[in-house]
Amino acid sequence: MPMKKKMKEEEEEEECGECLFAEEYDGPPLSYNIPCALPINMEKIPVAAVVSPVCISDNMSFPVIQPILAVDSLGKKFLVPSSVSPTSVIDNCGSSELELVSDSITVSPEEEEEEGDEDCGLSSSGELLLLRSCSSVNHQESRTLDFCDSSVKENELSNPLVPDWESNESVLSMDYPSSRVTGDCCVSETNGDGKKQQVVTFLGIASDDDGFEEEEESCNQKRIRVVPVKKEPQTKGKKGSCYRCFKGSRFTEKEVCLVCDAKYCSSCVLRAMGSMPEGRKCVTCIGFPIDESKRGSLGKCSRMLKRLLNDLEVKQIMKTERFCEANQLPAEYVYVNGQPLYPEELVTLQTCANPPKKLKPGDYWYDKVSGLWGKEGEKPYQIISPHLNVGGPISPEASNGNTQVFINGREITKVELRMLQLAGVQCAGNPHFWVNEDGSYQEEGQKNTKGYIWGKAGTKLLCAVLSLPVPSKSTASTSGEQHYSANSRSILDHLEHRTLQKILLVGNSGSGTSTIFKQAKILYKDVPFLEDERENIKVIIQTNVYGYLGMLLEGRERFEEEALAVRNTKQCVTENIPADEGDAKSYNKTVYSIGPRLKAFSDWLLKTMAAGNLAVIFPAASREYAPLVEELWRDAAIQATYKRRSELGLLPSVASYFLERAIDVLTPDYEPSDLDILYAEGVTSSSGLACLDFSFPQTASEENLDPSDQHESLLRYQLIRVPSRGLGENCKWIDMFEDVGMVVFVVSMSDYDQVSEDGTNKMLLTKKLFESIITHPIFEHMDFLLILNKYDLLEEKVERVPLTRCEWFEDFNPVVSRHRGSNTGNPTLGQLAFHYMAVKFKRVYSSLTGKKLFVSSSKSLEPNSVDSSLKLAMEILKWSEERTNICLSEYSMYSTEPSSFSN
Amino acid sequence: MSVSELKERHAVATETVNNLRDRLRQRRLQLLDTDVARYSSAQGRTPVSFGATDLVCCRTLQGHTGKVYSLDWTPERNRIVSASQDGRLIVWNALTSQKTHAIKLPCAWVMTCAFSPNGQSVACGGLDSVCSIFSLSSTADKDGTVPVSRMLSGHRGYVSCCQYVPNEDAHLITSSGDQTCILWDVTTGLKTSVFGGEFQSGHTADVLSVSISGSNPNWFISGSCDSTARLWDTRAASRAVRTFHGHEGDVNTVKFFPDGYRFGTGSDDGTCRLYDIRTGHQLQVYQPHGDGENTPVTSIAFSVSGRLLFAGYASNNTCYVWDTLLGEVVLDLGLVQDSHKNRISCLGLSADGSALCTGSWDSNLKIWAFGGHRRVI
Repeated sequence: MPMKKKMKEEEEEEECGECLFAEEYDGPPLSYNIPCALPINMEKIPVAAVVSPVCISDNMSFPVIQPILAVDSLGKKFLVPSSVSPTSVIDNCGSSELELVSDSITVSPEEEEEEGDEDCGLSSSGELLLLRSCSSVNHQESRTLDFCDSSVKENELSNPLVPDWESNESVLSMDYPSSRVTGDCCVSETNGDGKKQQVVTFLGIASDDDGFEEEEESCNQKRIRVVPVKKEPQTKGKKGSCYRCFKGSRFTEKEVCLVCDAKYCSSCVLRAMGSMPEGRKCVTCIGFPIDESKRGSLGKCSRMLKRLLNDLEVKQIMKTERFCEANQLPAEYVYVNGQPLYPEELVTLQTCANPPKKLKPGDYWYDKVSGLWGKEGEKPYQIISPHLNVGGPISPEASNGNTQVFINGREITKVELRMLQLAGVQCAGNPHFWVNEDGSYQEEGQKNTKGYIWGKAGTKLLCAVLSLPVPSKSTASTSGEQHYSANSRSILDHLEHRTLQKILLVGNSGSGTSTIFKQAKILYKDVPFLEDERENIKVIIQTNVYGYLGMLLEGRERFEEEALAVRNTKQCVTENIPADEGDAKSYNKTVYSIGPRLKAFSDWLLKTMAAGNLAVIFPAASREYAPLVEELWRDAAIQATYKRRSELGLLPSVASYFLERAIDVLTPDYEPSDLDILYAEGVTSSSGLACLDFSFPQTASEENLDPSDQHESLLRYQLIRVPSRGLGENCKWIDMFEDVGMVVFVVSMSDYDQVSEDGTNKMLLTKKLFESIITHPIFEHMDFLLILNKYDLLEEKVERVPLTRCEWFEDFNPVVSRHRGSNTGNPTLGQLAFHYMAVKFKRVYSSLTGKKLFVSSSKSLEPNSVDSSLKLAMEILKWSEERTNICLSEYSMYSTEPSSFSN
Repeated sequence: MSVSELKERHAVATETVNNLRDRLRQRRLQLLDTDVARYSSAQGRTPVSFGATDLVCCRTLQGHTGKVYSLDWTPERNRIVSASQDGRLIVWNALTSQKTHAIKLPCAWVMTCAFSPNGQSVACGGLDSVCSIFSLSSTADKDGTVPVSRMLSGHRGYVSCCQYVPNEDAHLITSSGDQTCILWDVTTGLKTSVFGGEFQSGHTADVLSVSISGSNPNWFISGSCDSTARLWDTRAASRAVRTFHGHEGDVNTVKFFPDGYRFGTGSDDGTCRLYDIRTGHQLQVYQPHGDGENTPVTSIAFSVSGRLLFAGYASNNTCYVWDTLLGEVVLDLGLVQDSHKNRISCLGLSADGSALCTGSWDSNLKIWAFGGHRRVI
C-alpha cells in the first residue's frame, strides 16, 4: 500500500505523541486479512443449518444436530394439537396469553375459531411466539390507522371504490365523535389503550390453517438454510373473510399481502396497504422481505387493483414492487455450488447476457466452462452465460449422477448420457469431457476438439424431448440484451444506490476544487466531455482569452501613461526647450503605444468588458475579431506589456498559458484539448453543483492483491463539488450532504501571501471556512481529508516569499541545511512548508473535533497526483467502513484502536 | 473621483440610510398602539379550540427514500408533487395515496418543486442552479426517466423556491441564492425580469422563498437571508415596492395571507410574523413561549380563512397550529397521533383548504384533514 506508507511518513513528521497514529495505520492490513482468512468450507456449511430449526427435515444426516433435534421434537410435539404439555416456558406464556384473551373477550363473533387459535399458537415452535410479541408492537401503530380509517368501512356502503374527500370528511365527522366517547376520555388513556391492545392483538394469532401448512411444506421443499423471518397476518375474522373489515367470504376477490399473506377486500386494500411504497404489502409489512413463494407474482397486477386505481398508479406500484430493494432476491439464500452468493455475485448472475430463469432461493450448480445450470442434485436446467465468477467450484456429484461420465468435472446424469450417446459422442470407457460454451468438446488432457455437441440438427430436438437445455444463441444476442436494458438496469440502479460512496469536495474559490474535479473526470471517465460540452468549453475558453486580452490592454494603457509621465518629468527636469510639432508625435510614442486601428479595437473591448456583457456577444465576436487579435498579439506594445504581466494583479496565473497560444485558441475551428480544459477557468460553474460518478479502474497490481477485491469494481464513488459561496455557518443546503462518506477539503497552499478583496489574508479565510465546516453538526462523525493543493506553486513561491507572510504561519522557522539541493536526503523548503501547514491544520482539526485529519498534498494539474489523492480518499472510506465492522464484531481484539482514534 | 473618496461617500450614505431606517422603526413603534392579538382579545374573541380528532392524519404517502424538501398541490386539489433528497419528484394522488409519476432528476439535490396551474407539468429547482420543468404527459423512456421539457438556467446560485404565477402556465417566479428572483417565460425559457441583483436595490443575501399574491398576480413577496422580506411588482423590476424589517434571522419562508393584503413569514429567529403590505406595519409576532432556544421556522401555510397558521419548526417534528387572531398555539401536530418522526420541512394546504399536507425528513408525507364537524377554517 504505497498510499499508506505515504501517510505514515506524513504522520512521522508530526511531533509530540503522534506515534500513536503510526500504530493506527498498521490496522488496515490486519483487518484486510481477517475477512479473507475465513475459508468457506463445504464441510462447515451444514453447521449453519443450526440457525433454522423449523425446516430441518427428519432425514438430517449431519452429526451436529443434537441441540436442534431437541427443538425439532418440541415442535413436533406441538404439532399434535391436543397433547399439549404445559411444562415448557413457551407453553406457559402461550397459554397465559391465551387466557388473557379469553378474559378480555366479551363478545366474540367467532367461537369456533378459538380452538383453532390455540392450535396454531402452540404449534409454532417458539419463533411464532416471538413474532407475536413483535406484532403487538406493530399493531399499536396500525391501530391508530384503523382508527381514522374506520370511515371507509362505513363508507363502503355509499361508494367503496372511489374514496373522496367529501364523503371521507362527512363520514369522519359522523364517525369521530362517537368513537371518541369510548376510549378517549383523557383520564383513562392508558386504560383505553390497554383494552384495545388486548382485544386486537391476542385475537390476532388466528392464522389460516391452510397458510400454515403451506409454509411448512414449502420450507421442507426448499431446504433453505437461512430462513427469512416470516410475518404472520393477524385477523379476527372468519376464515376467508377480509382481514380488515371481516366481511366477505372465500370467494370475494381479494388482494394478498406479499409478506404476511393477509387478504383484503377491494374496499380495504387501499387503507391496509397505504401508498404501497414496496408494492402490495400491508403498511406494517413494509420493509420486510417478501414471502418467497410469491416471488412469481411480483409485478403482476390483479384485476382488482386495475379497477381501483388508474393506469399510471398501477404502473408505478408494479414498478416499485419489482424493483424496490426490499423485494429483491436475497443473495444469501441462493447457493451456487455450495456457496451462498454475495450480493455482487447475484447481480452478476442476474445481469449477465443470459441469466438463469426463475431464480429462487435454493441450491444450484453452475458449470462455469459450459454455462450449464441446474438445481443441486438434478440434471441441467438451462444454459446460462458461461465464465461468470459466482459461487464455488463445481463438485462432481452436483447433479447426483451415477454414470461415471464426467463433463467439466461433474458426473452427468443418465438423461444427459443418453443425449450424448444419441448425439454421437463416444462415451465408452467412462471418459471425462471438457465442454466449452459453444458445445465443442474434448477429452480431458487432450488438445484436439472432438466435435460439437450441438452441431447436429437433431440434437436440439432430442434435447427438447429429454427436457435438457440447449444453448440459446438467439436469445443471448437479442432478447437477452433487451432484458438487460429493461430489467437489470433497474436492479443495478438500486444496487448502485446502495454501494455509491459520496465524496464531498469543498474549498474556497481558487483553491483548485474545480481543477481536481475536471482532473477526476478526465482520469476516470471514458468520455470526459461530450461534444456539446466541448463546444461550450470552447466558447468559455475563448471568452476567457478575450478577457485576459482586455486586462493586458488595460495594463498597456496604464503603462503607457506611466511611461509618458516619467518621460515628461525627465524632460522637464533636463531641458525646458519646448518640443516642436513633429517631435511631439514621436515624442508621445512609447514602447507601449499602439496603432489607431488596434487602439479602436482595444477601446471597444475595454468598453464591452466594463459593461459586463463580454459573455453575451460571444461566440459571434470571435470569428470577426480573430485576425485583429493576431495582429494585436504580435504588436510590440502588447508583448512589452506581457513581459510585465506580473504587475497586473487581476491577470490569473493561467492566463499566460492561453495568451501564449492566443492566436490558435481564438480561431473558430479551435478544439480544446484535455489540458486546455484543465487550465480553463469557469468550465465547472462556480455557482452550481457538479457531481461525477466514477469507479476506480483496477490496476494489475491491485487485482492480484486480494481476491475479495473483485467486488470492488462495483463500488462506485460520486465526487460532488459544491460552490464555496454561502458555505458559511448558516448554510441553507449543507444538510443535504448528511449522507456523504467523507469530506475532502481543498486548500491552495500558495494562497498564504494572497489578499482577498476586503483585505484579509486568503489563507486565514480558508482557515475560517475550514473551521466552520469541520464543526458543522452534520459533519460530526465524518472523516475529513485535507488536500493541500498547488504544491508546485508553493515550492516555487516559498523560495521568494517567506511563509511567515501569513500571520497564522508566523512561527515557521525551518532548519534549512546549507547544502540544500546537493543533499537529496534533506527536505526542500517546499516540503518543510507543506508539512508545517499540514500540522497547522491538523492541530486546528484535532482541537476542534478531537479526531484526526488525513492530509495529502497534490498538484491538481498533474493527473497522477490527483489520482493518488483520490485513491487515498477511497482507502480512508474503505478503512472507516471496516473499522465499524471490526468495532461491531471483534471489539475486544481491537480495543486499543478507539483510543488512538480519539487523538 | 478617487476610490477613497467614493468609499467615504458610501460610508456616509450607509450611515444616513441606517439613521433613517432607525427613525422609521421608532416612528412605527410609536404608531403601534396594539397588535392583532391584544385587540381581538380585548374584543372578547376566544381562540379556536381543537379536539383530539379535529385534525387527523388520514393518509400517509410513503415512497420517497430520502428527506422530503418540498411539496405543492395542484389547484384542482387532489394531486401533490413532492421533491426529496433521493433525487426524485413524485406526483401523488392524494385521494388514493398512490403515486402517478416518479421522476428521476438529473441533479439529486433538489430544494423546491411546484405544480403548474393546469396540472400538466411540474417544476423543480435545487443546487444545480437550474429550474427544470417536466411535462407529465411526456412518456418516460426505457429507464423510466422523464425527459426535461424546459431548463430555465440563468441563476448564479441555488434555486431555493419556485412558484407558478396563478392561472398562467407560462410564467414562473424563482428565488435563488444569488440574491435575485427571476420571472421566467416558460415557453421560451428566457428571463422576463430579474428582481434584485447587482445594479438594483434588492436583497443583500440569499433569497429563500417567494409567494405570489392570489388576488393580484403582479405582486409577490420574497424572503431572504438578509432578514427582510420584500414586496415586488412584476411590472416594475427595478426596485422593491416595500421592504419589511423586523426579523432577527434569515427569513426562511413567506406566504401570502388568503386575502392578498397581508403576508406571513417564518424565520430562523424562531418567530412567525404577520405583515400588512399596505401600511408596511408588522401586525403580529407569533413566538412560542418559554425555553430560550429559538427553533427556526421551516415552512408556513394559512388556512383558507386565514384564521389558522400552520408552521413547521426545525426541532423534532414540531408543527404548531397558530390562531392568527389571538396569537396562541392551539395545536401541535407533532403531538397528534401518527405524527412525523422527524423535522417537518414543508407544508401546504389544498386549494379548497380541506386538507393539509406535510412533508418531513422522515421521508414521508402525511395528509391531515379536519375530522370534526367543522370542515374548513
